[in-house]
Amino acid sequence: MTATIDIGLADVQMLVEEVWTSFLGADEPVLPAIEPGTPGGWSAAVTISGGWEAQCTVWLTEGGARAVTARMLMCDEADVTDDDLRDALGELVNMVGGNVKSLAASTASLSLPLVGHGDLTPASHLDEVVRLDLTWLGDPVRVSVHTPPEGADR
Amino acid sequence: MHALIIDDSRTMRRILRRTVADLGFDATEAEHGQEALDHLEDGLVPDICLIDWNMPVMDGYTFVTKVRADERWRGVTLMMVTTESEHGRIVKALAAGAHEYVIKPFTPDAIAEKLELLGLVPGEVPA
Repeated sequence: MTATIDIGLADVQMLVEEVWTSFLGADEPVLPAIEPGTPGGWSAAVTISGGWEAQCTVWLTEGGARAVTARMLMCDEADVTDDDLRDALGELVNMVGGNVKSLAASTASLSLPLVGHGDLTPASHLDEVVRLDLTWLGDPVRVSVHTPPEGADR
Repeated sequence: MHALIIDDSRTMRRILRRTVADLGFDATEAEHGQEALDHLEDGLVPDICLIDWNMPVMDGYTFVTKVRADERWRGVTLMMVTTESEHGRIVKALAAGAHEYVIKPFTPDAIAEKLELLGLVPGEVPA
């Protein structure tokens, strides 16, 4: 049996900001987007299962994903390979998902991250409960949390 | 001083290597617990292991239990560095023999403070 847990937008935003600041620097914070854009490009997801079911997904543009990776690896964007990018975005979503899991305060397990070029659409039985449209270095960033609908058969 | 960094993310291994290098550590990397155990079996004697929890092949918790079960590695300090922040997980890791626990995301200062607490880097001299 899994629990139904309300995840607050403000809580998720705070932890995303913490991940960004810790690993990408405090000089260029991730900010709420005034006009949400469509990231496209790359997406990374982790699923939470066990005591609570959810999927956390981060979407970035191609340029944003390369900038994130270069910052994390402290290298030039021109030197970033797609393998570097998959690994860095996987770690990024792992930290976001792990901290979202902690908000649920339940015994659940985090999957290894899945990273892809394009859209990692969450499973069809999950509803979006949090969507953060953000901007970093002028590029759109989206973070979402999907959970089963309340009262769904689990 | 020597650190064994155990994390399936190459990015995180590089971040941790850079962090501990700034504190005067050399480092060896492993992608999972089994590879880290292989390093120990081959004679590596790290002063500290920095251990992720969720990894393929062998997770960090299993690595901690295996190291603590072997007399040869009694002197190795173990520190979890993981996104797993549930109280129960922290208690479980510490009970299994981990000395410290750092939750990702972390800052370099947080790692330095823990290593200082463990006596592996010198503390700041009071003014």
